[in-house]
Amino acid sequence: MTDQTGPGVLLNGRPVVLGPQPIKGGGQATVFPVAGHDRIVVKLYREPPGAEQERRLERMLTMTPLGGRPIGPGQPPELAWPTAVARGSKGEFLGYAMRRFGEPGHVQLVGLFTRAQRLRLFPEQTDWRFMLGVGWNLAFMTARMHHEGLIVGDFSSNNVVVDANGFVTFLDCDSIAFTDPATREEFPCLMQTADYAAPERLAGGPATRQSDDFALAVLIYQLLTAGNHPFGGVPHDSESETTVKDNIAASRSYVAEPGCVIIPRGVIDPTVLPPALLTLAQRAFGPGVTDPAARPQAQEWLRALDEERRLARVCPDRPRHSYGSHLTACPWCARAAATGHDVFNDTVPSVPTGPRTKQMKLPQQMIPTQQPSGARSLAIGLTIVLAILVLVIIVAAAQGA
Amino acid sequence: MRNERQPKTLPASYADIEFENNAQRLPLVLCLDTSSSMAGAPIQALNDALHAWTRELHDDVSLSYSVEVAVVTFGGHGVCAWRGAQPLPPQTPVSPFVPAHAFQAPVLGAAGVTLLTEALELAVRVVAARKTELRASGLQYYRPQICLVTDGLPTDGTGHWTNAWQRLVPMLTDDQQARKYRLYAIGVGDISDMGEQVLRALAPNFNARLHGFPFRELLQMMSASANAEQRGAGDEVFEKIFARFRTQRPAWEA
Repeated sequence: MTDQTGPGVLLNGRPVVLGPQPIKGGGQATVFPVAGHDRIVVKLYREPPGAEQERRLERMLTMTPLGGRPIGPGQPPELAWPTAVARGSKGEFLGYAMRRFGEPGHVQLVGLFTRAQRLRLFPEQTDWRFMLGVGWNLAFMTARMHHEGLIVGDFSSNNVVVDANGFVTFLDCDSIAFTDPATREEFPCLMQTADYAAPERLAGGPATRQSDDFALAVLIYQLLTAGNHPFGGVPHDSESETTVKDNIAASRSYVAEPGCVIIPRGVIDPTVLPPALLTLAQRAFGPGVTDPAARPQAQEWLRALDEERRLARVCPDRPRHSYGSHLTACPWCARAAATGHDVFNDTVPSVPTGPRTKQMKLPQQMIPTQQPSGARSLAIGLTIVLAILVLVIIVAAAQGA
Repeated sequence: MRNERQPKTLPASYADIEFENNAQRLPLVLCLDTSSSMAGAPIQALNDALHAWTRELHDDVSLSYSVEVAVVTFGGHGVCAWRGAQPLPPQTPVSPFVPAHAFQAPVLGAAGVTLLTEALELAVRVVAARKTELRASGLQYYRPQICLVTDGLPTDGTGHWTNAWQRLVPMLTDDQQARKYRLYAIGVGDISDMGEQVLRALAPNFNARLHGFPFRELLQMMSASANAEQRGAGDEVFEKIFARFRTQRPAWEA
């Protein structure tokens, strides 16, 4: 929005020139490209950020969170951690630099929540299994952060990006809540996104592991239902304006309590979740809304998701249809037959055996290969050993326009 | 897992409410002056800005998830609602709202009178109707945004200045207080002091008088506000975004 023509800043004392057009402008800060360095971006605060934020960034630069883990082939870092403090010519603190995670390689999680955007932005083969895998990665990242005492805080579908292999990266690290290991100074998370904020946060409470668990549950649920928010729907009685935020505050989720709202038309039945996952979701969106301790933790999601990853079935009839092993028939085909809308494909044959001209069958060599490569990560606390399954999807190059 | 009052599967007849997306919606109405005073460079600038903004909107993964856009114009002989690039005939039952990712900018011409009052009424009406539609479908919405842009004074159908707009003030004031929508009223070009006073009365919180025709910045400000709305930001954030937008062009400040 601002017409800055390439402001200059100092990164670790070295002058760099920022691009004239910001990449992204939020309410609080603006992200700029750096001339001559396309792998990094600089986030500048709109208003002088103050001494505490400066200390926060300085402390973050001394930390290497989630470090030491062998990263699978092609996996980007899980956190867009600050790499340098950005200062003005007089040494004043302006913001920080981080690695760039931009489109087309990295897309905000919200891009997976509608068919139009999934088809436009993600590999052609993107299906329910992929969503499941992204959910697993998200739970994995959360578990690791919690293990290291980091609280995501502002956890939403906007500040997590996903790449073509379903690897996730958390972007807004400067809002993470943590305690400085050296000085024991506490840095709270001051940001939140209403649609993912647990009720205690909406009421002004601090970010905690449990508030992360809440956001994680919402995000995983959205992934597994191709984008449905568990707190969607409007109350039966009211003329009032009802938002997701209101439903969270009032603990109204149709996932935990069917019938408590007029469910959004077109909602996918929650039973598309395998029973173990549905149980977790119902705990999170039922008792877990008001009782933070009742929310499933990231590790629980991991275990349940892990099971399902191995068992997911592939529909023989339509491309991009895969589903949980608890179902005897493809739910996406059933839905397409009932509504005329195919959640994962652009067009629907009018009858099951109808023409498939626009739904190209992928040539054999284009079918994604699943390679359970990757290493084992030892010890994420509590004797849990997590097998890291790295889902490598080989994306065929030519995808047309 | 289903609600008794809803059929298990709904027919795909909600043509104007995208079936595959039940995200909380953010209705956005652009209420634009296309009267004769906008002819020439200004309307060209507006069209160009709409075009560029549309592209940005498509590219914005987050905004295109929930924003829906309607356009209302006032010029020629009356007011007109547009469904994307298509003008809708008066009294048509079709909603002018289009999901952001499918929105196409209309190509606007400038002529005729300034029925600002009627246009704003229409904008308020389409917002209310949209809310009802969304609610009936079980869909939630963020607070809608209405952005009124004009370079002149409200006129009647014969092009004479009118104070009919004053009849809107009580309703607009109540609605804004009741948080039914955020109304932005922006004066551009050679808008007079009197024109500015009208805008102030209509939108006490978010009004501005801008030098020239900075439509691009204006539309980007609308996007920034939409973004803040999605985050669930407090009022002060919107004021800040608006203040930043206003103070970018000090040329018009006294």
